[in-house]
Formats: sequence, C-alpha cells, structure tokens
Amino acid sequence: MSTATESAGARLVLNIYIGLFVLYLFLPLAVMSAAAFNSFDYPSVTQWHGFTLKWFVALAHDQRLLQGLVNSVLVALGVIAVSIPAGLSGALILTRLGQRSGTMLYSVLVSPVLTPGIILGISSLIFWREFGVPGGLFVAVMAQSSFIASYAMLLFLARLQRQDRTLEEAALDLGASHTLVFRRITLPFLAPTCFTAAVVAFLQSFENYNTTVFAIGGEWTLVTEIASRLRFGLSPVINVVGVIFVALTLVAAIAYVVLKKKPKA
Amino acid sequence: MGSLSRAYGRPLASLIAGIAVAWILVLILVPLGAMVEQSLWWREAKGDISLTIDRLYNDISLIELDRSSETDPAKQAAFDQSLTEKQAEIATLEAQEKDPPKTYGLANFTRMSGLHFYIFVRTIFYALLVTALALVVCYPVAYVVALASGPRKAIILMVALIVPYAINELLRVYAWLMILDYRGVINGVLQWMGFINLDAREWIPFLENPSAVFLAMIYTYVLFMVFPMVNTLETLDRNQIEAARDLGASTFRIHRRVIIPHAKPGIAVGCIMTFMLSAGSYSVPAIMTRGQGGDWFSQLVYRQFYESNNWNMGSAYAVSLLVVCTAFILLMMRLFGVGLRDIAK
Repeated sequence: MSTATESAGARLVLNIYIGLFVLYLFLPLAVMSAAAFNSFDYPSVTQWHGFTLKWFVALAHDQRLLQGLVNSVLVALGVIAVSIPAGLSGALILTRLGQRSGTMLYSVLVSPVLTPGIILGISSLIFWREFGVPGGLFVAVMAQSSFIASYAMLLFLARLQRQDRTLEEAALDLGASHTLVFRRITLPFLAPTCFTAAVVAFLQSFENYNTTVFAIGGEWTLVTEIASRLRFGLSPVINVVGVIFVALTLVAAIAYVVLKKKPKA
Repeated sequence: MGSLSRAYGRPLASLIAGIAVAWILVLILVPLGAMVEQSLWWREAKGDISLTIDRLYNDISLIELDRSSETDPAKQAAFDQSLTEKQAEIATLEAQEKDPPKTYGLANFTRMSGLHFYIFVRTIFYALLVTALALVVCYPVAYVVALASGPRKAIILMVALIVPYAINELLRVYAWLMILDYRGVINGVLQWMGFINLDAREWIPFLENPSAVFLAMIYTYVLFMVFPMVNTLETLDRNQIEAARDLGASTFRIHRRVIIPHAKPGIAVGCIMTFMLSAGSYSVPAIMTRGQGGDWFSQLVYRQFYESNNWNMGSAYAVSLLVVCTAFILLMMRLFGVGLRDIAK
C-alpha cells in the first residue's frame, strides 16, 4: 500500500496502523447509526430491543427539527448570496494587485478563516446590536459569511491563477467593452468555481455550530436545535438525523469517486 | 485601483471594490472593533447610590410630616423648596442607577476571577495537548496516504478520511456521547462482561471526567491535521527518499532530514487549524458536559453572553482567546518559516 522503499515488516505495521485509524474514525459513526434502528427509547446498541423504523416517523413529525432544517437552508442560501460576490470581488482585486500591497489585503481577507468561530459569532452579535438587530437568522448569515467568503475567495484565487489573460486583452483590443469582456470571458471562465464555491458555502453554513450558536439568539437552525436537545438527554431521533447525514455523505463520496474515475478510463 | 479599472473598466471596478470594501468593513473589521470596544468599558454599578436614594426618600417623608404640622406660610414655602430640591436629586440619582455611566479601562480583563483564569489556562494547555497528540497520530497516516502507490488506493483512502470529516461535527461528538454515557456502549459492554450492573445504577461516570471532552475533541479535530499534511507530502519527490536510502540513511534519519522538512508548511497549517478549532470549540465541551460543566473557556464566554448577560466581560474573554490564538499562529509561522500564503491553500 505504501511506497516500495519500506521493508515488508514496516509496511505491515503501517497498514495495521492505518486500518486502526480508519476503524477509529468509523466505529463511533457505525454505533450511532445502528442505534437509530433500535426500538429501545434510549439510543443504545448494547440493549437491543428489536429493529424499528419508528424513530424515522418521529423525526418526520418533529416540528422544531423540521423548522430548524428550513432555517438552516435559509441561512445557507443567504450565506451563498453574500459570500460568493464578496469572495469573487476579493479574488479579482488580489489577482490584479502587486505582491506588496496585495499581502496586506490578503491577510485581512484570510484572517476570518484563522479566527475561532465563536469570536466571529460574538463580534457579529455585538456589531448588529448597535443597529438594533438582535441575534437571529440574519446575524447568523452575516457571521457565517465573514469566513465562508474567505473560503470562496481562496477557491476563486486558485482558479484565477490559471487564467489566460491574453484572451481578455485580445477582446479589449478588438473593441469589446470591459463589461462585455467580463460577462463573456471572465465570468464563464469562473462559472465552474462559482458552482463549487456555492456548494462549499452551503455545506459550511449548514454544518456550522460554533459561530451560529452565538449569533442565532432566540432562533434556531437544525444544528443548534440538535445541540440544545442533547442537553435534555439522548433521543434516537437525533440518531436518525445522524443516519441521514452519514448516508448522504456516503452517497456523495461514492458519486464523487465514480465521476472522478470516468474521464481517466 | 488604477490597475483594477484598467482591467475591468471604471464601473465594474468600482462595483468590485465596493463589494470588497463592504465585506472588509461590515463583516470583518468593524465587528471586530465593536467587540474590542465592548471589552474596554463597563458600567459602574455603585451600591451606595441606592443607599443615598433610600436616605433621600426618608428625608422627604420627614419633611412632608413637618410641613403638614406647620401653619406659617413662609416656613411652608421653605419646606416646599427643600422638597423639590430633594426630588430633583432623587431623579438624577435614579437615572444614574438605571443607566450607570460608561467607564473605560482594562478592568474587564484584570477582573477575571481566579477560577476563570485557571480554566482559561487549562483550555490553552488542553488545546496544545490536542494539537500535539493529533500531530503524532496523523503523521504516519498522512505519510501513507500521500505516498500511497496506485491512484486507486489513494482515492479509497482519501474517501475513507473525507467521509467522517464531512459529517457534522456535532454528530461526531454525539457518537462519543453515546459511547461514554452512563448507559453508553462501554458501560453496556462492561455489564455484559459482568463487571457492573446498570439497573442498580452501577455505571462508570466517564462523562464526569474532563478527559471525556479531551477524547471527543481529538476525535473531532484530528482530520484537520491530516489534510494539510497530505497536501504538502504529495508534492514530495519519492526519488529523494530512495536516494537517501541508497546512500545508507536510516528510516528515522530519512524522516528527520527529508520528509519532515518537506512537510513543514503542512505541519504548521495542521497545528494552527487544530489549535484554533480546539481552543475555540464550543460544541464539544457543551455536548459532552450537557451544558452543565464549565470545563472549557468557550463555555464561560457563552455564559457571560447568554446567562450573566454581561457582554462587556464576555467580550473581554473573547478578546483574550483571540489574542492567544493570534499569538499561536504568529509563533507557528515564525517557527516553521511559512508565510500566510502557504497557510491558506
């Protein structure tokens, strides 16, 4: 599995180690998923009271969790609307700036990625209160966008580094307006990245807890609702949410592998 | 700005610059400034103000009593005079009591109690420990994944790592909560083996031990160490390793002189991300302690905001955390000789 430079013994040890590591990653998730199908009303795998799907039904009737799901989607869409234009603008400026003045701007724009999430939530909460906006979905969108926009910018920057600028220059020489060049050459070039960045932004926003919990105030998203449920004891309904997450992730991963292999073959 | 409008034209360039400036100001710098400002002032709630007000009310009742028994109009007017004076004084004092004046200073930082400071230091220490352990655990994993032979194996390994990484951090913590809970998996297995009896409430309270938070923390953030290291190690030319081996270098020496130096930026990024995430994590301690314990500094910050309602103190705590994280980032950048551009890849 590893390089040919290792001895057989070393390779065996490394392989066992990786195996254990992957087991360590997956075993807790497997336990969590299995308990969703246990009819015992405490999530458990050691006290098995028979297979059931009733917790899935319970989830479908759980108004607060469903509302949380809607809120999460709304916040994620808001984050996409804010962070894609912001990240794109930042990247477009940085690619045109010199190394010197660029570094300063770059540091500022990347800093939210390196800031603990709770700090972003707190600073947004305080900032928006000055304008009379209490914690809620809007403040959550703003707090999350501050760092998700940085991720989007990094994706755009990577794409822009591979851009062939002569195409734009040629179009300008031939008399096309700047707006036309941007719409017909630059944007189509960046379109795939726009899509990737939107997907990344959606996932980041949907899963975010540490920033959201400070900015959300009295409202809730799916994730903050799950967290506050856990205070009052465990319920298999949460395991059902876990199973759905695990299943969706697995499907996405398999789809990714299959799609990635095809062009090579 | 000049190069920008040359590239995109005047209107488009100003739109782009406008959005970027709005992002920097509205989402990054001004909120940060607002938080720092909030941490630098407090409202002095003086206990003696209420005492003075009480005394004034007493005086007023006395004067009113005297006035009612007085018949001389000149003296009555004098009483009225002092009554209005006292009432005016009460009004200003009550306004002060309700809305004490802002006082600026560093007191929010110096006022941190001994216990809270202890938790602060312990959080930083634990976060460093999480980072160090994650580094040790992940180095072999990153090495194998990055230098795996055959693209297929590499893909399978990457997926095996990405799937748990992509699953919500909360659910990953929840899985550990299930394992360590009173009626959790470990206690269940112990009962099955006959060591304990759950029905008699004879369980081992793993969750009451601070190391439960620590364990779940490593599980949650370990992968943030793997991916940056894999990214840098993938660019290592394998011929370098073989050359070193042909020249007689031991495995240990190859790692120390060839592989680790090459992985430096990845190690720095992994350490920075892991430290930042674990020092500032609210999810893991909040779930593992069910919102009860106060083992982690982030929980103290949350309580200042949502339970004590003391935003000034909470901001001071948040700023302290931010300062430590920034210092750690700068230290790692200096130690490993990497720039910000290497970090954000």
